[in-house]
Amino acid sequence: MATFRVSGEADVVEVVRAARESKRTLEIIGHGTKRGFGRPVECGDVLDLSGLTGIVNFEPDEMIITARAGTPVAEIEAALAEKNQRLGFEPADWGPLFGAPPNSATIGGVLSADANGSAAIRYGRCRDHLLGFRAVNGFGEAYKGGGKVVKNVTGFDLPKLMCGAMGTLGPLTEITLRVFPKPSITAVHAVRDLSAEDGLALLRNVWSSPLESSGLGFHNGDAFIRLEGSRAALDEKMKFLRELATHQLERIEDFDKVFRELASGKFVVAATGVVWLVHAPPANATRLVAEIQPQAWCADWAGALLWVVCDPRCNVRDVCRRFEARAIRMRSDNSIPPFAPEDSVRRALTRRVEAAFDPLRLFNPDRMWEGV
Amino acid sequence: MGRMIQLPSPDPEIVARRDEIVAALKRLVPDGVIFKPAGLAAYDGDALAAYRQAPLACALPKTKEEVSAVLAFAHEMGVPIVPRGAGTSLSGGALPRADGILLGLSRMNRILEVDIENRCVVTEPGVTNAAITRAVEGHGFYYAPDPSSQIACTIGGNIAENSGGLHCLKYGLTTHNLLGVEFALPDGERLRLGGKAAGGEGLDLLGVVCGSEGLLGVVVEATVRILPKPRCARTLLAAFQSVPNSGACVANIIAAGIVPAAMEFMDRRCIEAVEVYCAPGYPKAEAILIIEIDGLPSEVTDAVARVTEIARASGAHEVREATDDRERERLWKGRKAAFSAMGRLAPDMLCMDGTIPRRALPAVLARMAEMAKEYGLGFCNVFHAGDGNLHPLIIFDVMKEGELERAETFGAEILRLCVNVGGVLTGEHGVGVEKRDLMPEMFSEADLAQQQRLKCAFDSASLCNPGKVFPMLSACIEQGHVHVKRGAMRHQELPRF
Repeated sequence: MATFRVSGEADVVEVVRAARESKRTLEIIGHGTKRGFGRPVECGDVLDLSGLTGIVNFEPDEMIITARAGTPVAEIEAALAEKNQRLGFEPADWGPLFGAPPNSATIGGVLSADANGSAAIRYGRCRDHLLGFRAVNGFGEAYKGGGKVVKNVTGFDLPKLMCGAMGTLGPLTEITLRVFPKPSITAVHAVRDLSAEDGLALLRNVWSSPLESSGLGFHNGDAFIRLEGSRAALDEKMKFLRELATHQLERIEDFDKVFRELASGKFVVAATGVVWLVHAPPANATRLVAEIQPQAWCADWAGALLWVVCDPRCNVRDVCRRFEARAIRMRSDNSIPPFAPEDSVRRALTRRVEAAFDPLRLFNPDRMWEGV
Repeated sequence: MGRMIQLPSPDPEIVARRDEIVAALKRLVPDGVIFKPAGLAAYDGDALAAYRQAPLACALPKTKEEVSAVLAFAHEMGVPIVPRGAGTSLSGGALPRADGILLGLSRMNRILEVDIENRCVVTEPGVTNAAITRAVEGHGFYYAPDPSSQIACTIGGNIAENSGGLHCLKYGLTTHNLLGVEFALPDGERLRLGGKAAGGEGLDLLGVVCGSEGLLGVVVEATVRILPKPRCARTLLAAFQSVPNSGACVANIIAAGIVPAAMEFMDRRCIEAVEVYCAPGYPKAEAILIIEIDGLPSEVTDAVARVTEIARASGAHEVREATDDRERERLWKGRKAAFSAMGRLAPDMLCMDGTIPRRALPAVLARMAEMAKEYGLGFCNVFHAGDGNLHPLIIFDVMKEGELERAETFGAEILRLCVNVGGVLTGEHGVGVEKRDLMPEMFSEADLAQQQRLKCAFDSASLCNPGKVFPMLSACIEQGHVHVKRGAMRHQELPRF
């Protein structure tokens, strides 16, 4: 097994063409922080994109950044912060969940894993912000999808498809993201000692109000609410929030920490069992959790995203189906498929779509499902 | 008269089987088949008015099962399908084919569920955009994407085109407000993509279905996100004596980190036309910006002050604010009537839709004015300035020899300019027929080949809205890296590579 460490798109094309010739599969990695996510892959060689780095173009006035896929997220966030900007989907740091050091992901890896943070409830997920990309497909051709402007409907929206594709459609080489202004003030408040039902109901009320909250989490009886804006706006939002939350509001000083830990799964990973990430209709979250009876759990996005740890015997997917929710198996027990099995029509379509990008199944084969 | 955009020539074998096809459709959709010329004339095109073509037959199903049955039948018979909502596409997305079935979804017009707790609405595809807001406004919510045709256009059509609108600067396009669909593939099989929970299901197929312009299949049910109505909205008008200054103002507002709910531009010609049409009371100026800020009262107050300051610093000679709802409505009325008002100035109009980086606005606006002189055609600009989405309106008279061709060449020239400054061909109207032949301006052969392979994954027989979006019809071959024109492939076994 060889590792091909590339530093430009032309290198990627060369490696893919050689893989095509020799029919050897490629595991695509950035910093390899989420290699444990998905089904285990057994590949002939490794295509290492960690040398494909650098911000190609950052236009603060346009609120757009273009970077090579292997650029560390930390580098992008630092460049944005200098201009008082940020990524709207607030990349979630899943690496530590799989034993990697914190804050070491690449932007390509975060997008490919669809790792969204708490702010996504307000600003959208990474699929909503990836405006365009360059990639290499299984034919060994470099191509682009999307564009570099915020509003574009020219041709198929391939950027959406690349987010969360876990490299199965081929390596990204360059990405263009929409970015957002940083608010002048951020404040996080906690409401303590709530039942799951009351806590999640409070968060949904805030979500349905005009407060435009950028973080709505729940863990262990505590509801966390993040508000943003100018001083005057924040004062007004606090007044509004006090009407919604009849309980005592406690200001949290380290406002970044609570949502960073929530989105990384840190609140629950100490528990033993299978770690699941569940996308749910928020109003179904309380009943869903009550029925699963997890060892540990916490909620993000006002209950639309749940971290749940349970015994391997618990049939999380059956419960999810009844509540119109979807569970991703994040960690432990590789015998459980990471994504819910698709019905026959969708399975066939997924395979055809995958083959449209990678007909020889060179890239991360079987990473998402058997055969994809 | 030779047109720039060639419509596909009908397949005589299919046209010859018309009676048989109509008879079969009548069995599948007993009360919803139109086949007489007078009836079909009502379905002979959309809002890209220069192109007209009656379909072979029109099927108007009432249920998803009927949609599937028509698709399965067409698939088996090798007959093209053109899906249609309300027919308001500005790019010819719903333009029928003489050898194709027009599949009209307008009778599937029920809202199936209003779920306030989960902030979503489940609807059939023929429900109008405005009807979704009507169904939830009593609860204090609304559906955000607001294309100007929102009273008429359907949610199914909005999804197919990934429609935008005045307020998508802050609230996004259809794709950002769509949670799920039930989707009928070109062979009639149906599947669910997304749902009341967004994400987490593997490949984001919902993401590519949205905006696929009817090329991948047909939306038979949609779940959309609803938003709480903002507490407060204030509308400003800034008037400029220089078009480039107004463009700079837009770029400066965006660069300051302010995200208005809407930021709209109109030039002098357009201002004068709407003044005659509906007298909104706009000031005399070379350009105006209408800027709306929404949110909680204090943030709005803050942003209004900053925008006013930026506008003045960028050279606005007048900045006024609507003092009450009536004045606010009047300011918007002029903007919303702009297309109709311009329509009075000439028999025909071509509306372009490129998006450019906002910093390029001053230069592109100046260059377009020069080009209008070179082509000797009437021209004005009214557009979504906040996201750099231009809507240059070219005025011409189709009855005058050569004017349509000149208008189309001018339009194509504008779109090339957009691509050259780093922009795209279409921001919200779609490629359709109109911009199909310009796709190579923006995409390389490899880029287009990849998109066409995706098309083949959904529609291997190329029957769903063929002749739209891609400049050349290509047969789908497994592994798809060789493209052969459909005509050359019809009666032979496809080679495998």
